[in-house]
Amino acid sequence: MSCYTMGIDIGSTTSKGVILKDGSEVVSTYLIHAGTGTKGPGTVREELLKSSGLTNEEIAYTVVTGYGRKTYEEADAQLSELSCHAKGSHFLFPEVRTVIDIGGQDAKVMKLDEEGRMTGFLMNDKCAAGTGRFLEVMANILQLDVSQLEEEAARAEEALKISSTCTVFAESEVISQLANGADIPALVKGICRSVASRVGALAKRTGIEEKVCMSGGVAINGGVREALAEELGTEIEYSPLAQLTGALGAAIHAYERATAKERKDG
Amino acid sequence: MLDDILKKFQEAAEHPEALKERYLAEGKQIVLVAPVYTPEEIVHSMGLVPMGAWGGDLQLNQSKRYFPAFICSIVQSILELGMKGAYEGVSALIVPSLCDSLKVLGENWKYAVPSIPFIPMTYPQNRKPEYALEYTLHSYERVIADLQKATGKVFSEKLLRVSLEIYNEHNALMRETVKELAAHPEISAQQRSWIFKSATFLRKEEHSALLKQFLKELKEQKAEGKKLRIVTTGILADAPSLLQILDENGLQIVADDIAAESRQYKTDIEAGNDGLVALAKKHASRDNCSVLYDPLKRRVETLVETAKAVEADGVLMILTKFCDPEEFDYPLIRNACKAAGLPIVEVEVDRQMENYEQAATIIESFKEMMESK
Ligand code: SF4
Repeated sequence: MSCYTMGIDIGSTTSKGVILKDGSEVVSTYLIHAGTGTKGPGTVREELLKSSGLTNEEIAYTVVTGYGRKTYEEADAQLSELSCHAKGSHFLFPEVRTVIDIGGQDAKVMKLDEEGRMTGFLMNDKCAAGTGRFLEVMANILQLDVSQLEEEAARAEEALKISSTCTVFAESEVISQLANGADIPALVKGICRSVASRVGALAKRTGIEEKVCMSGGVAINGGVREALAEELGTEIEYSPLAQLTGALGAAIHAYERATAKERKDG
Repeated sequence: MLDDILKKFQEAAEHPEALKERYLAEGKQIVLVAPVYTPEEIVHSMGLVPMGAWGGDLQLNQSKRYFPAFICSIVQSILELGMKGAYEGVSALIVPSLCDSLKVLGENWKYAVPSIPFIPMTYPQNRKPEYALEYTLHSYERVIADLQKATGKVFSEKLLRVSLEIYNEHNALMRETVKELAAHPEISAQQRSWIFKSATFLRKEEHSALLKQFLKELKEQKAEGKKLRIVTTGILADAPSLLQILDENGLQIVADDIAAESRQYKTDIEAGNDGLVALAKKHASRDNCSVLYDPLKRRVETLVETAKAVEADGVLMILTKFCDPEEFDYPLIRNACKAAGLPIVEVEVDRQMENYEQAATIIESFKEMMESK
């Protein structure tokens, strides 16, 4: 009989979910732009079941992860987002040894061994520079959607330098650049570089070991990916499932627990 | 009962102000001793009560007139407490010169809290050579003279020797307690912390008496539960919210290299006829600490050796924000642990921290990392 497991990742701005069959086949995925404290997390399970045609009883095990995991009550277990991102990234790219995850509120760098076990990690816990929030603030001033940043950056011939680290100061810097008639694509490219250089510094502190991949919401942004690859002098793997990596990892952890439990029970 | 004794530790740890009032009501005079190594024994021998001043978890506003934002919260909160009158009634404050922040604390104290005399304890950078001993001795003389002036008490060699013995006994008991606690996962990180924290406030003979009862009961108690074993390192580890996270994640502190904890009790005084010389030698033989000159950084390998000896699953570095001495050591510690295959993470703390959400994620991930090893 097939074993279905669910992974749910409740972030600060989005909630994500994955159902896996036998720990290896993605049956359904779901993402909603509503994070912890909203109704978002509640709809993830419903939507996943709906799209997969499965019932709640058919889900052998659920693991919840992410910033909002502590308040989600329908899971069998909760795990930190780092363990889940590590697991999910290893599943997507078995050769990856360094995972860079840029989420809405923070950035994390994880080191993995050959078996995908996390051997070390670092988090930026001081400021919002180098996180999704930074991009949001900047996109807002430019009256763009975050998803448009990639396209804009791609059109740039050069990158304008954003010298402030602090999000609030960088905001006024960008505003004054705008007032001076700066080229928007060049400004966007500069913004992407700025995020990349913050996260790159964090990554360098853990020591970069190839291959490197990006997970988390910001990974979708090709502008940041490219700037980060340049910053680190290495290629960066990326999967269209990047934003779901945490949920995917949670579903794999759920599978491992479900089968371990079966073995014990059986 | 073990719980009753733990309660006594807790009371002293959480309410030093009540203890201060009690000592004052008993007609005793109190002298505050700031971190990291202050010759408490001298204070004790003069019939004064040395009480530790490691700052407190309170909002800082008045001290900001004297300090920039980027200075460790221990010295900031000591000054804040002083300016807010929390130390009202004590006779003096002794601050050792072991880090730059502490030096500045003394200078600021003189102006910010003029009602409580500041007494500097100046240590030599090189503490081992013969000339360094002499330097330390001269500093002791200054401390004694200042104490006599501030309190009217006199110093006697004979009484110092009695105090030295009391301190040696307390050291031994603290070390035994740490060892015994490593075999008892049922004692929480928070409870363990009360033992250390109360030791800085209570008179050593009182604390020793409690420790003896505690050890007796603990040895009779059956060890229960299984937790992941960690070694902590840093300056301070007494934040209740942080300790709660350790407890919630099932982590047991089996040994520590915390300045406010075990580092205080590692070095004994060797018997000799001259008490002050013996005390200076005690300081000279202290090692493995970020605030003590250590060109070969032996502290790092000692930490790894300790972690191995106690079969720790990992090392938790609790970094006091803006503590330069610790920050300098951190990369070395991190690399050494990695090379030894010991999982290590760092959490940064300060005394004003209330929300430990980031620390919770870090510690939870750390636990999962150790489990998967
Ligand atoms: S925490 Fe560090 S900086 Fe602060 S007093 Fe102690 S040694 Fe000095």
